[in-house]
Order: sequence, then C-alpha cells, then structure tokens
Amino acid sequence: MNALLTVEGLNKRFGGLHAVKDVSFTLKPGSFTGVLGPNGAGKTTMFNLLTGFIPFDTGTVQFEGQSLAGLAPYQIVNRGVARTFQLARPFIGMSVLENVEVPCLAPRVRELGKTRTRAQALLDQVGLGDKANLPVDVLPYGDLRRLEIARALATRPKLLLLDEPFAGLGSSEIEPLADLIRSLHRSEGLTILIIEHKLREFMQLVQEVIAMDFGEVVTIGEPAVIVRHPRVIDAYIGRMEIDEPTPQTVGASVGTP
Amino acid sequence: MMMSRIDWIGALAALCGLIAAPLLLGSTYIIGILTVALCFGMWAASWDFMSGLTGRENFGHSLFIGAGAYTAGFLNVNFGIVPWWSLVAAPIVAVMFSLVIGFPTLRLKGPYFALAMLSAATMMQSITVIFSTYTGGQDGLNGLDPILYSQLDYYYLVLGFLVASVCLLKVIANSSWGTLLRAIRGDEASCQAAGINVTFYKIASLMISAAVAGLGGALYAHYQLQVGPDLFTVILSINIIIMVYVGGMGSIYGPVGGAILLSVLTEALRGLSEYRLWVYTLVLIFILFFMPNGLIAPLWRRLRSITS
Repeated sequence: MNALLTVEGLNKRFGGLHAVKDVSFTLKPGSFTGVLGPNGAGKTTMFNLLTGFIPFDTGTVQFEGQSLAGLAPYQIVNRGVARTFQLARPFIGMSVLENVEVPCLAPRVRELGKTRTRAQALLDQVGLGDKANLPVDVLPYGDLRRLEIARALATRPKLLLLDEPFAGLGSSEIEPLADLIRSLHRSEGLTILIIEHKLREFMQLVQEVIAMDFGEVVTIGEPAVIVRHPRVIDAYIGRMEIDEPTPQTVGASVGTP
Repeated sequence: MMMSRIDWIGALAALCGLIAAPLLLGSTYIIGILTVALCFGMWAASWDFMSGLTGRENFGHSLFIGAGAYTAGFLNVNFGIVPWWSLVAAPIVAVMFSLVIGFPTLRLKGPYFALAMLSAATMMQSITVIFSTYTGGQDGLNGLDPILYSQLDYYYLVLGFLVASVCLLKVIANSSWGTLLRAIRGDEASCQAAGINVTFYKIASLMISAAVAGLGGALYAHYQLQVGPDLFTVILSINIIIMVYVGGMGSIYGPVGGAILLSVLTEALRGLSEYRLWVYTLVLIFILFFMPNGLIAPLWRRLRSITS
C-alpha cells in the first residue's frame, strides 16, 4: 500500500449529466500530477468529489489507506488534503494575515499562541510577507492566488489540489507562481494534483497527466506522450475526422518536426 | 484587533457615564427608561455576536428574549421560586431553544436559519396566546417579584450584567474564535477548505447569543414585573436589528450604544405625540442612508485613527 491517494470507479451524476464517469487513478507520495481536459470535462467536479464539497454517487476514494467517503470537507482537510479554488475566495473584510490565520486554526495544525507567527511565515514563503496587514480586498488577482496557496499550505497538507492556479494571470505573473509551486513539490516533497489550462506551464510542471473528457479518464501518462494522444488532440485542438486521416496527417497536426 | 489605550479610556468613560446618568438625572421615570435601554443593549450585543460576526442574519432574536422572560415568569409566578433563580434558568432555556432552531438550520446554506428564527418566534407568540391557562394569554403573566426593591439598585444590577456580557462577548470576538466567525462571514466554503468546522462554530455562537438574550429577557421581566406575548414579536426583533445597524455591525460595543441611543430617543420624542414615529423613522433613514456602516462604531474608529 504505497499510494497516497487511490481513486476507484468514481461516479457522479447531476440528473441526466454524468459529470464524472468511472474515474480511477492513484497518486504516489511525492508525485506531481496534472488533470487535463476541456471545459466541462469534469475536472473541477472531480476535485469537489475528492475534497468532500460534493458527495459522490459510487466508487471509493482512499487517502493513506483510509476511505474519505461521507466525510465533510473540513474533516478531509484535517486528514491532510488541502485545495485551492478556481476563483480565489478570500475572507473579505479581513486582513491578509488574518486570512492565513484561519487555516492555522484548523484542529490538524492548531497551536495556540503561534498562529500569528506561522501565518506570517507562510505569507513570507509565498511572497506576500510585506502585505500582511493590508485588507484583503485591495490585493490584485495574482496576489490572491498566492494567498490561496498560503492558506492551503497552512493546514500542512500531504496532498495539495490546485484548481487552475494560473487562471486570469498575465504571463509575467505566471512564471514566479509556477516557480513557487515547483519549489513546494521539490523542496517540501508535497504531492500535488493540479488542474490547468495554460498548457505550456502545465506540461513543464507535471510528471504525469490524467487526461479527461466528458467526465471520463481518456488516458494517463507522461506529458510528452499525452500531447500525442489522438483523443487529447481532439478535445483540445478540435475534432478531426478520426475515420479518414492517414497516419501522416495525424503526425503533422501534432507538430512533430 | 487588540484594545488600545484609547479604547480603554472610551470604555471607562462610557461606563462612568452609565453609572452617573441615573444619579444626575434622578427621577424613577428616567431610571426606568435607562434600565430598559440596558436590556436592549444586551439584546443588541448578543444579536451582533452571532449575526454581526458570522453574517447569518437572525430575524427572530425575540424568540430567546421571550423564552428567557417567560421562564422567569413561570418560575416566579406559577411556582413561586425566588426570582434570582430566573437569572440562571432563563439563559439555559434560551440555549435549548437555540439548539432546536440552530441544529437543523445552521448546517444549511441559504435563508433557512433566518426564516426558521422568524417563524419560531412568531409560533411562540401564538403558542403563548393559545395555551392561555398556563401563559395568561394576551395578558401574559403578571405580578412577578422584583429582584431588588430599589429601582436604582436594580439599574446597577442590570448594568453589571450588561458590562459582564459585553466583556465576555468582546473577549471571545477578539480571540481566535472571533477570527473564525468573521471568516465564516467572509466565505463559508473557504472556511471549510481551511479545515474549520463551520457548523460547530455557528451553533456554538448562537448558543452564546441566546444565553445573553435570555438573561436580558429575564432581567427585563423582573423590571416590568410582567411578561406578555409581545416579547416574541417580530417588531422587537427588527428593532434590535435596527439598533445593531445604527451602532455598527460586528463591533459588539457599537450595537450597545445604538440600543441605548435609540431607546432614549424613542422616549425623548414622546413629547411630539403622533409625529413621534415620523421623526424617529426620518432619523433612522438619515443615519442608514448617510452612514450605511452605522453611527457609533465607525465614529469611534475615526476618532481612534485621529488620536493614534
């Protein structure tokens, strides 16, 4: 039993929509995995199922060998699974520092009297140290993304789920944030599962990709292999007439030299 | 947010003012008005602790007030128990009511909690009328014993409970518990993602809020020496919310000031007879229009930033 997270046969229906269909995969400790797929492929829904924000219909989710089924989101966080949201959701009306103090108060990491220093250290780590006392409302979007990550780190997760951390960021903001995420993986040994649309950054970050479409796992593999997979190309670059093309045209459209 | 020196000076000045007011103004009529104002202060502060901090509006705070007051009435009038015991029993009964409403509804998102509080208070008002053999119906329960025979002493007793309640609520609000309550107001899903048991904190806060409101209800009952179904009315709940808004939501001390200000204003305008509600309403509209964050707490914050 050396997998950190084992997902088997995960299913979720919203009425007639089969949002997540028989999804199975495992994450090894210390791995860095990406979830790829077009809009509506069920990526965020899958995150919500894994973190308890939406209960799943059937299937099993095991974290460190223990089932996460039926647990409330806060209980899953206290097991060591933290997440960020696709749209940054700060605690409006509080300071940047207080925003990070809240997760420092989670039962898993609570150390009375040390909350403030820990929160400040986390802000320093993500590069927001000098903005600690500002009201969170004035932070630009890129900083809110960093704040999301600081809040997730505050719960000392073993597994971190990042939901489109680069969404809405300019190219000058993406690179430093990607460096931050990379350093979390490399120097802290954090296991990371990331959803992202910015293909270039994404492919440079991750070691393995879970490609999804229409709620299903299309394929799992290394980034270099994934980008050559016909169904991934289909979903991302547009539908090709699968029954017509010759092998050459497939190769050409992927852009191999 | 820690209390700075100016906050302590302000709190002491307010306390001295409240201690001196009945001595300077003298008449039992004014002492009575001030005693009721202090009860409203407890109710407004306790409303603010739960709803002001977490942002989950409670439209039936009178449920806890009425529960506390009727507990006092039952024990004293129907069972002849010494009135001091009301002050112990009323908060307990109010907390039980808060569990009945809070446990099922605070787990949910949406307006269920606000609606459940509103309807529960209205139901209790009807129940007190329907079971009139026990509750005295529209007339309520009359002839409660006073706790203290001197009006002035009783004023100071209520003041003591108000100060103790506000200190308790303020200490909790300034602690990490308060940080979590304000975070719930900011974003409930983010709180969950931060590993915080949101439901637990909301229910626990409602219990504390109910206990203080129930205590205030019992103190009010033993001042009026009468309890009636009007203690469960929506109007009472709404008045408390207005006091909180005028005082400045989420600050605890602001709503106490708002409650005292508006209670006294209502009485001061009595001379205008039928124009009273007109003027009162105009004043409210003026305050809420030009100072949407309230009057007392924002003014105090401005004063503090000037002096520091």
